[in-house]
Amino acid sequence: MEELIQKIKSSIQLSSEAEDYLKSISKKKMIAKGSILIREGHNVNNIYYVTDGCLRSYCTDKKGKEHTLQFGIKNWWISDYIAIHTNESATLTVECLTESTIIEFNAKKLNGILVRFPEYEPFQRNLLERHVVSLHKRILNQLQLTATERYDLFLRQYPDIEQYTRNYHIASYLGITQESLSRVRVDKAKQ
Amino acid sequence: MKALQIVAYGEIKDSLAFNEVNKPTVQTTDVLIEVKAAAINPIDKSIILGKLQGLIPLPFPSTIGYDVSGIVVDKGTEVLDFEIGDLVYARVPQEQMGTLAEYVAVNTIAVSKKPGNTSFEEAASIPLAGLTALQSLEYIGLKKDDKILIHAGSGGVGSFAIQYAKSKGAYVYTTTSTSNVTWVKKLGADRVIDYKTEDYKTIVTDADIVFDTLGKHYTREAFQVIKKGGTVVSVVGPMDEQSAKDFGMTDYTLPVELSKVIQEREARYKFIFMHPNGSHLGKIKTLIEDGKIQPIIDIVYPFNKSIEAFTHLASGRAKGKIVIKIE
Repeated sequence: MEELIQKIKSSIQLSSEAEDYLKSISKKKMIAKGSILIREGHNVNNIYYVTDGCLRSYCTDKKGKEHTLQFGIKNWWISDYIAIHTNESATLTVECLTESTIIEFNAKKLNGILVRFPEYEPFQRNLLERHVVSLHKRILNQLQLTATERYDLFLRQYPDIEQYTRNYHIASYLGITQESLSRVRVDKAKQ
Repeated sequence: MKALQIVAYGEIKDSLAFNEVNKPTVQTTDVLIEVKAAAINPIDKSIILGKLQGLIPLPFPSTIGYDVSGIVVDKGTEVLDFEIGDLVYARVPQEQMGTLAEYVAVNTIAVSKKPGNTSFEEAASIPLAGLTALQSLEYIGLKKDDKILIHAGSGGVGSFAIQYAKSKGAYVYTTTSTSNVTWVKKLGADRVIDYKTEDYKTIVTDADIVFDTLGKHYTREAFQVIKKGGTVVSVVGPMDEQSAKDFGMTDYTLPVELSKVIQEREARYKFIFMHPNGSHLGKIKTLIEDGKIQPIIDIVYPFNKSIEAFTHLASGRAKGKIVIKIE
């Protein structure tokens, strides 16, 4: 938690009261590999900040196949923001791909910080803007880049992630088949 | 709920009927699965024709089908490993037969989460054939560089077994008909034998293992093509004496001719009776998610065309599995 507090303090002035509030609405947790933090169809109450390990959010289509939306590695936030924003049940599942350490925040209470401590707003806004940028980039990359280019970018964005993930996790993040992912890797190895 | 039921033994068109039946309820260790897809197997045909009456006596009407994939919608009080909403697949135990229905209750001992990279149809195509191949080849300890002959490479069990054997690094011979040679090669078999134009007994002479999926004379012939001290594992041939003993058949002996060739070849013979097993399906899930095994589907029928699906199965011309989409 201290690391996160320092991170926040490096971008905004955080009062000791706001710091205490943040600590009071959060809980540090060690999560075992395979644990499900958010389950599709269930209620979503929490947002997770990853301090170590790797999480994955994915949806399942009507045919039963998984599609990876995001990986959550060190210093990343992960949840089902659609469910939190619309107050509906989860459309995503968030699972733990390796033993991980997270800080769990109650979503409603985290939003409540803006009312009680307006000084927190620039940090929150910056976080949201970076999230929107990241999503826009992901959509544009999906529209205009080749599978190889998307894979290269993925490795830069998520360095060392391949030690935690299965091939189908990565293929479904990139929107390609596992066979295509293998071909991309073979082509890269030849370069 | 709607279910496809066997109403009498005999020809397919006379023996099957769609009926409205009660939705099953769960026992303490069951999950209730909303069926998304089911697969049919040669054993279903044998059941319909009444060939297994002695072994599997059925009350009429009985809902048919063993393979399933779907979503957990209810669970017994002692179920800890599954949650409502989990996507699962199973080969259901005999006493819970009946996957060609909108819902089926299944003991969790037979259930696994389904592979995340497959559709429901693909997942439903796996359990019975996959468990048969996995349990047979694991039991005999198939390992890297073993030479194995897998009969009927284009069938549900054969196509899975080829891929499993290749994932272990074995050298695979397989038999199939002319029209299937190309696609069986694509599964990874090293030497595909067209049984219409080639005699497999002249090509395979030193196999470590024969996986017998055909029975009859093929079981005996398997001992001609293994090397001395080799192994024949069968899912359709006569029961081996230890398996018979385990089933309580104390006075059972192997057919004399078979016993003789086993001795001559100093060979090992094992009959495998596939059993439902959720943790084995968990292993298969990993193999599929890692891309080592691809589900092979011949055709998907809608639920209301299930009887046509059985007619197609009876033709014996399916390449891979016949799947029925329930929703």
